[in-house]
Amino acid sequence: MKLSFEGVFFTYSTGVRALDGIDLSIGSGEFVAIVGENGAGKTTLVKLLNGLLRPDGGKVVVGNWDTAEYSTAQLAGRVGFLFQNPDEQLFERAVQREVAFGPRNLGFSERKIASKSMSALKTVGLADHAEDNPYDLAPFERKLLALAATLAMDTPVLVLDEPSIGQDAAGRRRIGRILRELHTMGSTILLISHDLDFCAEYAERAVVMANGHILADGLVEKIFAQNDLLQRAAVFPPQLVRLAQALKMPTAPLKVDQFVNAYSQWHRRKKRA
Amino acid sequence: MIRIKDFCYWYPGQDQPALDGIDLEIPEGQFCGVVGPNGAGKSTLCYALSGFAPHFFHGTWEGELQVGKRDVPRSTLGELAGEIGLVFQNSFNQISGARFTVREEIAFGLENLGLKRKEIERRVEETLALIDLEALAERSPFALSGGQQQRVAIASILAMQPKLLVLDEPTSQLDPRGTQEVFKILDKLAGRGGTTVVLVEHKLEWLAAFADRVITFSQGRIVLDGSAKKILADEKLLKLGVGQTQFTQAAAAVQKKKFIPRSRPLPVTLKQAQKFFE
Amino acid sequence: MHGTLFVSGNSGLHRLHPLTKLALTFLFLVFAATLPNLLWLLAAFVILLVPMSAWGGLLRPFLRSCLVVITPFVISLSIIQGFFTPGETPLFHLAGFVLTGEGLLAGLTVASRILMALGGALLLMLSTRPDMLMLALTRSGLPGSLAYVVLTSIQIFPRFQERAQVILEAQQARGLEIKVNIFKRLRLLVPLMGPLVLSSIVDVEERAMALEARAFSRPGRKTSLLALADSPGQHLARWGLLLLMLALIGWSIWRAISS
Repeated sequence: MKLSFEGVFFTYSTGVRALDGIDLSIGSGEFVAIVGENGAGKTTLVKLLNGLLRPDGGKVVVGNWDTAEYSTAQLAGRVGFLFQNPDEQLFERAVQREVAFGPRNLGFSERKIASKSMSALKTVGLADHAEDNPYDLAPFERKLLALAATLAMDTPVLVLDEPSIGQDAAGRRRIGRILRELHTMGSTILLISHDLDFCAEYAERAVVMANGHILADGLVEKIFAQNDLLQRAAVFPPQLVRLAQALKMPTAPLKVDQFVNAYSQWHRRKKRA
Repeated sequence: MIRIKDFCYWYPGQDQPALDGIDLEIPEGQFCGVVGPNGAGKSTLCYALSGFAPHFFHGTWEGELQVGKRDVPRSTLGELAGEIGLVFQNSFNQISGARFTVREEIAFGLENLGLKRKEIERRVEETLALIDLEALAERSPFALSGGQQQRVAIASILAMQPKLLVLDEPTSQLDPRGTQEVFKILDKLAGRGGTTVVLVEHKLEWLAAFADRVITFSQGRIVLDGSAKKILADEKLLKLGVGQTQFTQAAAAVQKKKFIPRSRPLPVTLKQAQKFFE
Repeated sequence: MHGTLFVSGNSGLHRLHPLTKLALTFLFLVFAATLPNLLWLLAAFVILLVPMSAWGGLLRPFLRSCLVVITPFVISLSIIQGFFTPGETPLFHLAGFVLTGEGLLAGLTVASRILMALGGALLLMLSTRPDMLMLALTRSGLPGSLAYVVLTSIQIFPRFQERAQVILEAQQARGLEIKVNIFKRLRLLVPLMGPLVLSSIVDVEERAMALEARAFSRPGRKTSLLALADSPGQHLARWGLLLLMLALIGWSIWRAISS
């Protein structure tokens, strides 16, 4: 599903201008990482997508819907949202009921609720905990449960705010794989993360934000290779990019296998020279 | 400094021990990193070292756990406070809420220890300088960024001059700027020496930069233990779900293609990686 | 100071020991309850409270706060007492009701009692740091944990509201419709209050640990970075104020009995 922001402004009641003229369009099925330091405007931007915030100026469009004409509850059927802190949304006594909450709000049939909930729990690896109390789960499992609760809503657009926080390497990989699979099935994904190594591994396009502006927008390979740009946005470049730069390699690989290829070419060329 | 012998700990109502026969000795002044997958017992180790397991969480334990001369599980939290400092993830929850400025927040623990005002003032000033908080001294601790707040939390503990500082993923909820702020402080502490530090951290690149030693947990046990450089380069970390820095992974992959001799040890930091590949 | 009325300053009023100011606040409360009529009350307000606020350099915030708080009382009490108190001097007729002079006077008297009591409390709050007041109270025997609860609630309550907002947003993002009729509102309670309560439990546990790590429950005397300046004169004054309060109460009881 296509998304677009056209000349969007937003100022909080405290007087903080969080978005200062944003133009951004995201094609259906794109996987976009939004990076920048806290306060750059990332979360404000994505909250406009489901009407949690309404722009002071400009237009936000989700698919063929102008968000100004739809309620948050309606937009929730199109834009799924994973918040940072799962404890600020979990309330049911059983994991399965927690996952069913969103689909039920969206008016799915009982059969669809059951099947979507179960498959979401399987996807995140919590199927064995369906009857457990969410508060008996470990914090990292609660995060996965919140993810399942979002996935079960079966939305064409998915917004994730720091999904990899508090996860170990295996958990990060699991979440990354889930996102990659959703991406191949055609979901539009917006990933907010400070973890550029994670973004580099999975996202295709990167939007860099600072002070309510978009500093840069383009393919992850291009954007993440620009050390100065990332430093201006107060985020760390991915490890391999920093390494390639330290070695003065001509390219900036993002993944280990890319690095190995780039290194072997560079190595050969250097030997010849 | 720290002597743990065959220590086990069970949370209330659990059959599986969260710590399962821990043997560990940490000499004074060592900076010791702790890694492991989620649920391996890293946080529980932090709680055991600071006495919260069993004194706060209850549950049962056996074995020996000594920090300095203090028999931790046989001491009260009141006795342990100030001797062993604990800093955890959520910076907001560590702000006492009973004080209105950063300066007073740092003094709070010292007031509870019953120190004289002169001594409190001296230590607060010293800590403000050490943690680079002078410019924020008169601000409300609630009006700070996550990184600044976490530095206040660390400062509040350090001002109490603990023999042992335990940090449980202090940067996991911070943005890159905040993370860098906190690690800068830890780097300073490591460089200064004197304070024994146990740091649980997922961000291996940072850990590699200043830990003397790294221990690895899995299912309540210590499975790897050695110098930071050796452990973080160990392939077993991948299987354990801890992962490795991309520097290490890239180096291992290149080594497999025989561009670089096997004898060269794998790097864990950027600097080491640069040397490795050049 | 965030979340408090305190206005910083270095006036004589600011420098008074918090307990002295607290004693004054109680004295004004006793005034409010015992002074016989409107004239006495207004005189006490103008002769005592207004100059005191000026002494503290707080005249403007003091009068502004008084006005904001007292206006609704003046209006509502004048109307209620004015129309419903029988009396000999009709001032105004409205739809069969009569506003009497006696009623209006009674209404204004009650309002001025409230003004007196509130003014005293405002003077205290405007000129005293809450942590100083709590420190003074703990020194005189208030349990430290109670002082802690008072101080944290000042600062933590705004965070509580912020969190409630986040939860509201999170559940709306899960498709929860919150603009529903009054009967369906009840159903919103669990998804909105549940996370608030549960996440607060998690928070309270962590906060309790953080406090333990700061030696909060360590037995023995606590000290303070803050210096509480007291003087024998103030000490004596507090006893004097206490005696004055008792005398006033005695006097008003005697008046009640003798009439």
